[in-house]
Amino acid sequence: MLTNLLILLPLIGALVVWVSPLPREATAALAVLIALTEVAVWIVMVAGFDFASPVLQDGAQREWFGDLGVTYHVGFYGFSLWLAGLTVVVGAAAIGFGAWVGRERARAYFGLVLFLIGAVVGVFSSQDLLLFYVFFEMMLIPIYILVGVWGGPKRASATIIFVIYTMAGSLLMLASIVVFGLSQGTFSLIDSGTSNNDWVFLGFLIAFAVKAPLLPFHGWLRTAYTEAPPEIAALLSGVVSKAAVYGLLWILLRHFPEPVDDWRTVVLVLAAAGLVYGSLLAFRQPDVRGVIAYSSMGQMSLIVLGIFATNDLGVSGAILHSVSHGLVSAAMFLLAAMLIERTGTDRFADLGGMAKGRPALATIVMVVGMLTLAVPGSANFAGEFAILAGVFYEGWGYAAIGAAAIVLAAMYTLRLISGILHRAKGDAVRAESLDLRLGELALLVPLVAILLALSVWPSAITEHSFPSAPPVAEASE
Amino acid sequence: MIAGAWLCLLAPLAGALLITLAGTHISRSTAAWVSTGSVFVGFAGALVAFIQIAGENPDDRSHLSTAYTWLGIGQFEVPMQILVDPVSLVMMMIITGVGGLIVWYSVGYMKGEDEERRYFAYMAFFVFSMLMLVMGGNLLLLLVGWGLVGLASYLLIGFYHDRPEATAAAKKAFIMNAIGDAAMALAFFLLISQTGTLSYSENFEFASTGALPTSTMNLVALGLLGGAIAKSAQLPLHTWLPDAMEGPTPVSALIHAATMVTAGVYLIVRTHDIFEAAPNVQHLAAIIGGLTIIVAGVIALVQWDIKRVIAYSTMSQIGYMFLAAGIGSYGYAMFHLFTHAFFKALLFLAAGVIIHHLAGEQDVRRMGGLKSVMPYTHAVFLIGALALAGIPPLSGFWSKDGIISAALADGGALGYTLVALGLVGALLTGAYTFRLYYLVFHGEPSELVLEHAGGHGSDHAHGAESAVGHDEHAHSEGPLSMLIPVGILAVLSTIAGFLAIPGVWEPFLHWIDGVAEPLVVATVSQDYATSAIAVVLAGTGIWLAQSAYRASEDLVAEGRIRTILEHKLYFDELYDALFSRPSELVANLLREKVEEPVIQGSLGEIGAGVREAGGGTARLQTGLLRSYALVIAVSVVILVVVFVAVR
Amino acid sequence: MGPGTTWYIAVAAVLFGIGTTGVILRRSPLIVLLSLEIMLNASNLALVGFSRHFGSVDGQIFAICVMAVAAAEVVVGLGLIVAFTRRGMSLDVDTVTELRG
Repeated sequence: MLTNLLILLPLIGALVVWVSPLPREATAALAVLIALTEVAVWIVMVAGFDFASPVLQDGAQREWFGDLGVTYHVGFYGFSLWLAGLTVVVGAAAIGFGAWVGRERARAYFGLVLFLIGAVVGVFSSQDLLLFYVFFEMMLIPIYILVGVWGGPKRASATIIFVIYTMAGSLLMLASIVVFGLSQGTFSLIDSGTSNNDWVFLGFLIAFAVKAPLLPFHGWLRTAYTEAPPEIAALLSGVVSKAAVYGLLWILLRHFPEPVDDWRTVVLVLAAAGLVYGSLLAFRQPDVRGVIAYSSMGQMSLIVLGIFATNDLGVSGAILHSVSHGLVSAAMFLLAAMLIERTGTDRFADLGGMAKGRPALATIVMVVGMLTLAVPGSANFAGEFAILAGVFYEGWGYAAIGAAAIVLAAMYTLRLISGILHRAKGDAVRAESLDLRLGELALLVPLVAILLALSVWPSAITEHSFPSAPPVAEASE
Repeated sequence: MIAGAWLCLLAPLAGALLITLAGTHISRSTAAWVSTGSVFVGFAGALVAFIQIAGENPDDRSHLSTAYTWLGIGQFEVPMQILVDPVSLVMMMIITGVGGLIVWYSVGYMKGEDEERRYFAYMAFFVFSMLMLVMGGNLLLLLVGWGLVGLASYLLIGFYHDRPEATAAAKKAFIMNAIGDAAMALAFFLLISQTGTLSYSENFEFASTGALPTSTMNLVALGLLGGAIAKSAQLPLHTWLPDAMEGPTPVSALIHAATMVTAGVYLIVRTHDIFEAAPNVQHLAAIIGGLTIIVAGVIALVQWDIKRVIAYSTMSQIGYMFLAAGIGSYGYAMFHLFTHAFFKALLFLAAGVIIHHLAGEQDVRRMGGLKSVMPYTHAVFLIGALALAGIPPLSGFWSKDGIISAALADGGALGYTLVALGLVGALLTGAYTFRLYYLVFHGEPSELVLEHAGGHGSDHAHGAESAVGHDEHAHSEGPLSMLIPVGILAVLSTIAGFLAIPGVWEPFLHWIDGVAEPLVVATVSQDYATSAIAVVLAGTGIWLAQSAYRASEDLVAEGRIRTILEHKLYFDELYDALFSRPSELVANLLREKVEEPVIQGSLGEIGAGVREAGGGTARLQTGLLRSYALVIAVSVVILVVVFVAVR
Repeated sequence: MGPGTTWYIAVAAVLFGIGTTGVILRRSPLIVLLSLEIMLNASNLALVGFSRHFGSVDGQIFAICVMAVAAAEVVVGLGLIVAFTRRGMSLDVDTVTELRG
């Protein structure tokens, strides 16, 4: 019941926002209210959730296409509840930011963002492959419009590239779903068994590799993250990319034990390469959003490393790191947006010296930066540590590359921090580029506070994700 | 007891958080006193714990207190726990005691500085992190503390963030330390894969019973050693420490002399079971230490920056500690750490008084003749210098000579080599310390000194407020909050050595032995023999410095050797060529040759392809209704035919 | 008895063929419309024929629907033609190629 509410509230909210003829401020306020209610619903769910139970909870099921074995079946497990929590929190922050800057065409804008939130929650809760696909595609529509209409100067090409990539991936996935579902006689993720069909596996894998993105499939990343409105970029990198995590974990690991075994080396090598590649490129980007974009690619590769370690440490670490990376990259994108608002640019060449006289900005940039580079003791560190400890079992080389990438992460993040805060004052930084205001702090502080709370107690997620063993099916010999 | 220890850990954190959250709602001086107070509260907690543990049975002094599970994944659990035992207690008392004095000193030193609150929040945060490092009850929490002190060090080195050198130095320190962290993390991954846990006791059990293969233990110990040399600025990961002197002087005293840089020594002592299971690696630590003594010592001979000389001397002294830990003389390693914390903090703080007095000048060539102008500072600096040089009865004598005699007792080719390195180091220490001393305090007062001698303070570099604070200067040399801590440290530097008088009274060593049983113990005669030689060598060094000064020459004459030394043996240049440039090159190459043409370029191709295909298809759309109808009709016919045929 | 179902279908097929040919070959929109009507009524005939064959009224009801649609279509079509003549455009479907891609 609560799951239905969690999915439908933003979708219905989107409809209400679209049709009610309210002025811009009222629309924004309504959207913020809906987003906060969504967070409240999620908190109620967590409060009533039994994290020790390995079965689906808060489930709801309805027959949809009976003769095809397709049902509307939603519900949560521990780990997916955390991903949903990430979604509603980052979603609320994004809507809050939209309200703060007063986006044009407010009704369409806020409706689309709410719609996106509902779709992502749907992805994380669906227990039926076709339903999963529907939600997966539903995410695409609002992103397409949001980037295409409210995006930066090169938004047209950004959206086209993004859509070509994701559609290509999705079509492969649809084919895989159809083949898999028909061969299993059901599309239910709970009832269906395992398959050893490499082609079906690859169809899924490529779709998720595009979404994440993994190394050769990341062409959409740079333009989409830079041209999208920053709060949408926050949702894209923080939340939407985690749909890949859910898919890899809940579909591939559980239903394709043999292909996972056979293709593990390929995926691990790609992920390790992507980790180094993303980190190196992040090191040479000229602007804040470029750094975050490629750093996101690196971090998502790291998460994939953890998932394909297919052991307790790696998989739980991947969930923890998904949540903390989602929060931190959202906070980073919002910060970048606030910088742009103040100075008109986020290029390091024009920034610098902003620490002087802007204590709140300096503190937040520093804290978020330190979380990004996973300073030991942070939730991000705990996740990275668990992932690398897990993947160590698959080969020390991956862990060594991961450790090297931690050093690279330190390099690009320090460059980012210094580029904004330190050295002499940049040309674009004027005296009237003020410190963060209360409204902006109200958006960033909750994100940072959650991250710090998770740093104090990362077990909150790792011990409450997979009550029994991680969801890895054994390969039959 | 445990409550005291928890208080010790959490009080500085609370102080840091309070200052951060209060922001501008509290005044600058309130922030300073909150920070100082919180560290001293921590010291009180440590003291309570110490008194109670000292009263316990020596075999029973290790206490582990667990609060909750910090990171739990399946069978793998890392509790949030603190370990209170003699070794961690020594560290706790040094950190909070010396730390408290240095933060107190900062109240005067940083007065009028921009963003003073930020400074004090960082200082309290550093103390918390360092306590986390030494009190953390398992390897992962050790790593957490390890990383957090690196962060605090980064923040404080880069405190003057509008100075590009400071920012660069801070980044360099952080990245070098991140390399060390990564090495340690790899060692931990290996341990987890073998033992499934990061608990101290269980892993030490595995190590000391020989349950794990030697190759594994070697790799683990190597990883730990990598972390240790990065943090403690030993060869070859030492280049960040001299640059770190860009930070405020109290920071250099606290982080880059008394506490953080000695963490590597603590690590080896703490995990001595692992190192003992990998004797080759442990000897490597001793060799690295011995080499660092010499390398840092000779570079210190040619430095002109007062703080850099002391920084190289710190590297050199930590070399002694590594040497001791490497041959298994844990008591003396910790003892030298203990005395060094006092006299090195003293030297830095005294240097800070001078720098403060001279409006930020750090070049010794512009100093001179300060003896008459600053008699108090001269006295305490001299105590520190003598202690550093190892002149009896000051503290450095007892700890350093204990290390050399332990090396002698170790014997063998390794032991004798290390003795030789240690003795040469003693000579170098005397020479560079007193070269500095004579340049700063003797001779005629320089122009700069005269300028600041009379109406000093009015043109401090530390902003307008220092003129206001000037009335508080009871002494002409600086505010009381600076002079009192320096005095206390001078007293401690004088007497701390008496805690381990060979053959007479050695409570400090027995205290440590309970945790880490030494592998070598020198006989009393070995002790006195090495002491005599070391003191003679140190005296020779002082004499060399003095005669060079009298002859108005520098110790190392101009020439090729001096050039090499002035370039710090070209380590920076080497790393630049080996790592920085290649990684930038690769990054640029990837960006220009792969990312842009291949990945982004292929997008353009795809776009063009789609557009072309669209153009082709568009030509089919003639707009002629009749042709559309024809197509439909033909299609229907074909469909029907196919349908029938397939049936 | 009367003729069998086959005959109805045959006539319908012939009518449909005539109609299709008309639509494809003739240029005058008026004749095209006429031909379309023939096609529609051919299918109506088929519907009614089958309906009788299976003894069900479904087809007949459907045929009535088709007639209604056809009537509506004629109204629109004739309206367009009138509009064409009013604007003085030639009554030749080949000159109207707005749908060209």
